[in-house]
Amino acid sequence: MMKFDRRNVLKGSVAAFAVTAFTSILPYQTVAKARTPKNHIIEIQDFDFDPVSVNVQPGDMITWINRDIAPHTATASDKSWDTGTLKRGQSKTIKFMNNMTNTYFCRFHPHMKAQITIVGEPKISKSKG
Amino acid sequence: MKIKYTLIVLGLATLIGHGPAYAETPAELNDLQIAHVAYTADNIDIRYAHLALAISKSEAIRDFADTMIRDHTAVNEQALALLGKLKAQPQDNFLSKSLLKNADVLIDEMSKLRGVAFDKRYAENELAYHKAVNGLVENAFIPNIENSEVKSLFQAGLKIFKVHQGHAQMMVKKLN
Repeated sequence: MMKFDRRNVLKGSVAAFAVTAFTSILPYQTVAKARTPKNHIIEIQDFDFDPVSVNVQPGDMITWINRDIAPHTATASDKSWDTGTLKRGQSKTIKFMNNMTNTYFCRFHPHMKAQITIVGEPKISKSKG
Repeated sequence: MKIKYTLIVLGLATLIGHGPAYAETPAELNDLQIAHVAYTADNIDIRYAHLALAISKSEAIRDFADTMIRDHTAVNEQALALLGKLKAQPQDNFLSKSLLKNADVLIDEMSKLRGVAFDKRYAENELAYHKAVNGLVENAFIPNIENSEVKSLFQAGLKIFKVHQGHAQMMVKKLN
């Protein structure tokens, strides 16, 4: 049980002041709460990217996993980004940003093509004061 | 089905430069002999690809050759891993020997060519070779393979080689 001596009363007063000061600032402060980035999985199987089209928001991650025996890559159509060679069972994750080329192919099997669609800016929620 | 199979055997026999005078047929090969044929066929295409890389200056041909080396090496690695798991050794046979003999003749012929003449011959051979081997794998090997894991590997390999066949078809079209 807490004793109501002078020292505890002083401690309580300081704590109360701190809480009041902090909460009084809150209504005027915007707290940016970033959306948790998603990780989208794209499987490479039977010489296809599956899914062949994926919707992402900037900042999301995309992971390509090669299920084929043949090695593959996921390479931007202008070669600005590249997973590198993915042997069977290997994977590579790339963070996808707004300014990145959104069509890609396999460098080894150029008929394999797919696309990434950017569906919007990440939402920022504001906390209530 | 029998007619189709006979045509495939005749086609392969033509490709390898022999008449159909063998007592054995591809359909009579056991799983380990079939594995040997496939491993041999993979290595032959890798040899063709190395020749292309040594001679051709065409980016398209060189890219295709790189892909042949990469993909056939990957298939062979899977095949060897599976044979290791099954504690089995591939068995040499008449078809592997014939494929190798024909490959030696073709490599000798192609190594004398240069420029577009080489590129065309290489692309045409890749198309013919993949067509013949794919027909053999699909119609003679896969239906007769007994081990389910070996069969599954051949089915996966066939998908890859059909893509190669399509790619070779496009190369031939562009070069003509």
